[in-house]
Formats: sequence, C-alpha cells, structure tokens
Amino acid sequence: MAPKSLLTPPVMVIGAGPAGMSAALAAADCGAEVLLCDSFSEPGGQLVKQTHKFFGSRQQFAGVRGIEIARLLGDKVASHPRIHLLLDTHVLGYYPDGMVTMESAADGVARYLKARPRRLVVCSGAAEKPLAFPGNDLPGVYGAGAVQTLMNLHGVKPGRRALMVGAGNIGLIISYQLRQAKVEVAAVVEAASAIGGYAVHASKIRRLGIPIHTSHTVKRAHGTRELEGVTVWRLDGQGRGIPGTEMRFEVDVLCLAVGLSPAAELLWLAGCRMLYVPELGGHVPWHDEVQQTSVPGIFVAGDAAGVEEASSAMVTGRMAGLAAAASLDLGADFRVKLEEARLELASLRAGPAGEKIRRGLERLNLGVPASGARGPVSSTRAQASGGGS
Amino acid sequence: MEGFEGEPIAAALHAAGIRVLRESPVLGRPRGFFCAVGNCSSCLMVVDGVPNVRVCVEKLRAGMRVERQKGKGELKWPQSPC
Repeated sequence: MAPKSLLTPPVMVIGAGPAGMSAALAAADCGAEVLLCDSFSEPGGQLVKQTHKFFGSRQQFAGVRGIEIARLLGDKVASHPRIHLLLDTHVLGYYPDGMVTMESAADGVARYLKARPRRLVVCSGAAEKPLAFPGNDLPGVYGAGAVQTLMNLHGVKPGRRALMVGAGNIGLIISYQLRQAKVEVAAVVEAASAIGGYAVHASKIRRLGIPIHTSHTVKRAHGTRELEGVTVWRLDGQGRGIPGTEMRFEVDVLCLAVGLSPAAELLWLAGCRMLYVPELGGHVPWHDEVQQTSVPGIFVAGDAAGVEEASSAMVTGRMAGLAAAASLDLGADFRVKLEEARLELASLRAGPAGEKIRRGLERLNLGVPASGARGPVSSTRAQASGGGS
Repeated sequence: MEGFEGEPIAAALHAAGIRVLRESPVLGRPRGFFCAVGNCSSCLMVVDGVPNVRVCVEKLRAGMRVERQKGKGELKWPQSPC
C-alpha cells in the first residue's frame, strides 16, 4: 500500500490504543471514513502488555485480559471497510491550516505524509512520570510500564530483584507480574499514607509476603555504572524524609509507578487551551462533554484527555468518535448513542474509586474558555471552521 | 551477539545483560532505557552509524551494528535520504 502524499480523511484518529480504536470504530460505524494511525507496528497501545483481567462492566470487557481486548478491537479495526489503518506512522506536527504531518514506514520505506482531516481525534495516551532523587538516571531505574513491556511483550526479565515505588493499581499489578516472571520483589513503597490501588491487588501482593511500606519514598539510588541498591525513608506529614528511618534494599531494578501525565504535545501545538489539573495527571486539554477541545474540530480521548484507565478510555474514545462523526452532518441521529456513552462513563466514574477523577473533571470544567466554549453535539455541528475542515 | 529478529534492540541487549546504553553529554553518566515505548529518549544509541536511535522501539535485524553513544552523537554526512 502506498498512500498518496496528501490524505484528506473526514476523520483522523491519532493513536490506536483503547481510546483511538474505539473512536475510529464509533465514527466509522456512523458512516465516516476514518484514517487511524499509530507509531507502533500493531494496534492496541498499552493494552498489548496488560496480561491482567479488566474490571468495570461487560461493555468494557470486564473479565477479559488487556492483551485479548487489544486483539478483539484490533481485528474489528483492521477489517472495517471505512477504517484506513496506518501503522509504523509517527505524527510529527500539526499546522495552523489543519495539516497533520507524519513519517510513515507503513509500506516498508520511511516516507513523509501529510493529512488534512476535517475532524481530528487525538488519542495519544500518557507518559510515565519520573521521580526526583539522586541516582534516578542509573540504568536499572525504570518506569513501571517499561518493565511490563520488557517482561510481558518481549519476554525479557528486567533483573533479579526489584523494588516498586507506588502502590496504585499499576504498581501492585506489575509487582505481581514481576513475581510471575520469577523476579524477586523486595518491597513496595508508597509515599501516600494509604494504598491507592484496589484491595484485591494489594492482598495478592501481601499474600506473597511482599511488604507494602506506606508513607515511604526513595531517598537515593546507589550504583556507579548500574543500579545496585536503593535507600528509602519514611515521610512526615509534610512529605519530608525523616532522618534515622532509612532502609536499604539491595536491588538491581527500581520500578517507578508514580503516575502518568497526558502525552498532549500535539494539543499544545494545535493551540488547545490547556489547564493544570493534578487529579488528571498534570496539564490536560480543556474539553467539553463530548471530548471536543477548545479548538473546534479537534477532539481528545483516553489518557491524553486526563489520566484514567483503559475502560473509561474506550468510552471517551467512543464518545469522541461519535461526536466527530456527528459534527460532519452524515444525516444520522447520534443522541441515543452519545447518551449511552455518557451513562457508561458516569457509572465507571461512580463510587469512591472515581472520586479523584470526578474532582479533576470538575476543576477542568471550571476552566471553561471564555470564548469559543460550546455545549455538546447540537452546537458542534456548526463548527466546520478552525482546526477542522 | 544474538537476539530475535524484530524485537527491540534494547530487549535483545537487556537479555544479553547489557543495560548501559549511552553516556550523558555533560557528565558522562551511564544511561539505560526508562520508558520502553519511545517517549523519553533515555536509550539513544548509534545504530549502523546513525546516532540518536531510540533502541527501545528500533527493531533488531541481522547484521546490525549497535554502538554505545557518547554524548550527543555525531552525524556523518552525506546521510541517506529519508
């Protein structure tokens, strides 16, 4: 397949993870032609390394492993007559006239491509946050997701003995997977005073005899050429380390699972209004109820819109795909489908586990842009100007 | 050195026990990979003479020459067109 040098899809979706694939499928099912691109060689995003089973409800594949969800959605995307899937394609830039530039090796040779889509849905995911301490650049200090990629995707052990920083779901799940891969886990340390992840994951870790030290963080990493050990210490109520409480672990792997921040560079570039919302992972693009950003015609979904998890990414993706298609006047009524998505999201974000997300979204809504703000679908129809078309 | 064709270079190196991939430009500190998905640029190496290749996403091929990068790397001209 040799794509033309200028592509003009009605809808372009950047990122073929859970959000992007759901967005592409939703828009294509509504009759829109969709260009879906991803920098990797297979669709799935971070799902391809998630060997654990999902929670949530049946619509979001509860009880199914992430890796299988990637396959299910990937097959649907690949066989959809209106989705043009462009893998091995890096998006390089976004220009004020709505042009998206790419370097694509989709047909084996690297080539420069341009696209001017009428609607753009950015599902670029998130990046792992670093943690500041002396020695944090030593080989052997990894983002927790990197360790997961190495073990679950490539079948390579990260080392012999690991220390995990972060007792959220990612830290707990990957600690378990390290043990499954026969890597010793010395301990899990967590700066907060309580475990952030689900009790079911924490219990599994504790049953294996791995201690979870809350109110602790890394003081420093040791080693000259590579990581040889880590000193942690206890934190007081103000987040300061308490001298005399140090514990040293002899480990060759340190995993940082201290959160993610939206990989929203393209949206910065496109001039979308960005707001700092710590509950959503840092700087996030303002967006309305149907995931449209402050730039008309540009939508955002999944972790790029604010860090949540894969189940809600699938729903925000669907919402964005529906809303993007709805704004193209394809002659269909999208209200029922949008309302379904809205209800699913509300249920995923309900309860104590969704409290932080709800607080973050509330904060995001308070930052509504003074001009160019709009309600859901009814008014998105009228916005064929700006970043789109 | 051996690895599986198509796996990332960093995975093959890691499996062979090599975790130091480059040395930082100013202090010469050793660096390995951090994110494994092409985001962070911690894993830049010289591959077949081309510097600043992210080996966590660059696929391994038979006969590749992979060198530890010192500093910012050196571009050799003329480069093949890309």
